[in-house]
Amino acid sequence: MKHILVIDDAATVRLYHRNILEKAGYSVDEAINGIEALEKSLVKSYDLYIVDVNMPKLDGYGFLKEFRRQEDVVQSPAIMVTTESGNHDKILGYAAGANLYMTKPTKPNELLSYVRLLLGEVAE
Amino acid sequence: MSSIIISENDFLKFKEYFYRKTGMLFEDSKRYFVDKRLIERIEATESDNFRSYFNTLRFEASGDELQQLVNAMTVNETYFFREEYQFKCLVNSMLDEITHKKKDNSPIRIWSVPSASGEEPYSIAIYLLEHWSGIDKWDVEIMSSDIDTKIVAQAKRGHYSPRSVMNLSKPILDKYFIPQGGGYQICEDLRQAVEFSRVNIMEPADVRTFRNIDVIFCRNLLIYFDDTSRRQAAEMFFDSMKAGGFICLGHSESMSRISSLFRVRKFPEAIVYQKPLEAL
Amino acid sequence: MAFIKKQTSQVINEDERKTPRDFNGLCVELNHEDSKVRRWAVRDLAEQLNASSVLVTRLEHEDDASVRTAILNALAKLGDTIAMNGLVACLRSEEAALRNEAIEILKELPYEVEPIIDGLLTDADSDVRIFAVNILESLRHQHVEQWLIGVIEKDPHVNVCSTALDLLSEVGSELAIPAIEKLKARFPDEPYVCFSADLALKRIEEGSR
Repeated sequence: MKHILVIDDAATVRLYHRNILEKAGYSVDEAINGIEALEKSLVKSYDLYIVDVNMPKLDGYGFLKEFRRQEDVVQSPAIMVTTESGNHDKILGYAAGANLYMTKPTKPNELLSYVRLLLGEVAE
Repeated sequence: MSSIIISENDFLKFKEYFYRKTGMLFEDSKRYFVDKRLIERIEATESDNFRSYFNTLRFEASGDELQQLVNAMTVNETYFFREEYQFKCLVNSMLDEITHKKKDNSPIRIWSVPSASGEEPYSIAIYLLEHWSGIDKWDVEIMSSDIDTKIVAQAKRGHYSPRSVMNLSKPILDKYFIPQGGGYQICEDLRQAVEFSRVNIMEPADVRTFRNIDVIFCRNLLIYFDDTSRRQAAEMFFDSMKAGGFICLGHSESMSRISSLFRVRKFPEAIVYQKPLEAL
Repeated sequence: MAFIKKQTSQVINEDERKTPRDFNGLCVELNHEDSKVRRWAVRDLAEQLNASSVLVTRLEHEDDASVRTAILNALAKLGDTIAMNGLVACLRSEEAALRNEAIEILKELPYEVEPIIDGLLTDADSDVRIFAVNILESLRHQHVEQWLIGVIEKDPHVNVCSTALDLLSEVGSELAIPAIEKLKARFPDEPYVCFSADLALKRIEEGSR
């Protein structure tokens, strides 16, 4: 079973993503911000990260930058999810180490197709 | 029997709120424990039901009830070698990194706050003597502070109940303690090894002389503070530390609810937080 | 044993606060090249009235995160109009870290936020409106539910409404039910809105029994 870490400060968003992903057969953990996400990702290896941008203490870019510089953890792919759709933020997201970018609110089918693509479960 | 009932959705709502504020996440298996403590607080505050109590918790200007509730949900006992994995991390990982980077032979400074009755700073001293070979090469300064004058006096005295020392092996007890009056008196050498002081960490004048600290143990204290005080305390710790220094929190605490000033560091024994070496 | 007691003289020598701590001296140190010196200048300026303006100016080009954090905390402590405007201006910053830190601090200032929240909740920029809702997340103020209901009734942007709805599932009462139902009808094709509206309704209804 593939493990996914959902990182978002909004409890409802975490629950929504968890429901979609668990129904599709993934195991899901949650983190409320970038620092908690680092604490979790440094002790458990995830296959994919779903990362919100705006969060207290450490935002999504900060999390990815710090995570990507860790040498002894598996560098799994990450999807950035944000309310902002400007190009400026996309560039920041990719520069920080995101693999794909999604705009909120997400739709279940769209989310799952991105997840499967990054997990290598469908032909590109 | 109480007539107050916590519904499934009340529990979920509370669980999310408490997790956001403290980082403590209750599994469904803790439901009975959580309900019982909640009902106690609902009764103690003379609230009509969960909803009115939750309203107090969420909107009360002082935030006092949240602190009361954290108290009710946590067990704050202190004993020797509590959360020992952090002391292991100190001697196996943190101190090596600190001494490796040191450019002179100035002492290594460790600050344990709150001191409570002294179990933590004395545990650190014992751990260094027993498990860290660097103790022959380096000078170490252990400081320990508490806001409560009486408890500081008790810590200085160093007399403990059998319960406080229950985690210590017989050889350690024999080596560092003298049985006395049904309890245990810590030896004079260890009493001299720790510098105790009365300090209010929220008072700039009290903490002004705490500078260039290499390792801070601040366990099970900030969880009882409100958001503003936590941030202010983190700022004070940041200023008191050397760049590259480490801070250890209690096992149910996380920097993710406190401050963004520190970097998360993983060692084999524990996750700790580090003041960045380079400018942030 | 190699345990030693405190060496006070050494500590004083290494303190970065060497110059006099008067207002003009601190303003000079605010532009010092060493971030540690700047940070101490900010920490000491937080104790001085009239410091908001110089701190806000410094914030605009400060790039050290620890100094920025100190400035934001100082502005929160000062809490005057200039300080509040400085904090609010951060919400429009391109930098996520600065925005989010300002939001966190504004959450803790219910009385100072009260007179400006309506303006923020109706700002032309939908991102600023989302951040305004984020401020309400922990704000200890009795009008929070009313403000949130106002948002989901009127705001045209789905993400502003979603953010408000998320909070209503925590703080909402029966008063919020009609607005939540109307919102669901307004965005029938957004699965997330329907999901969070149903969650909020379920929690409110169960809580009122």
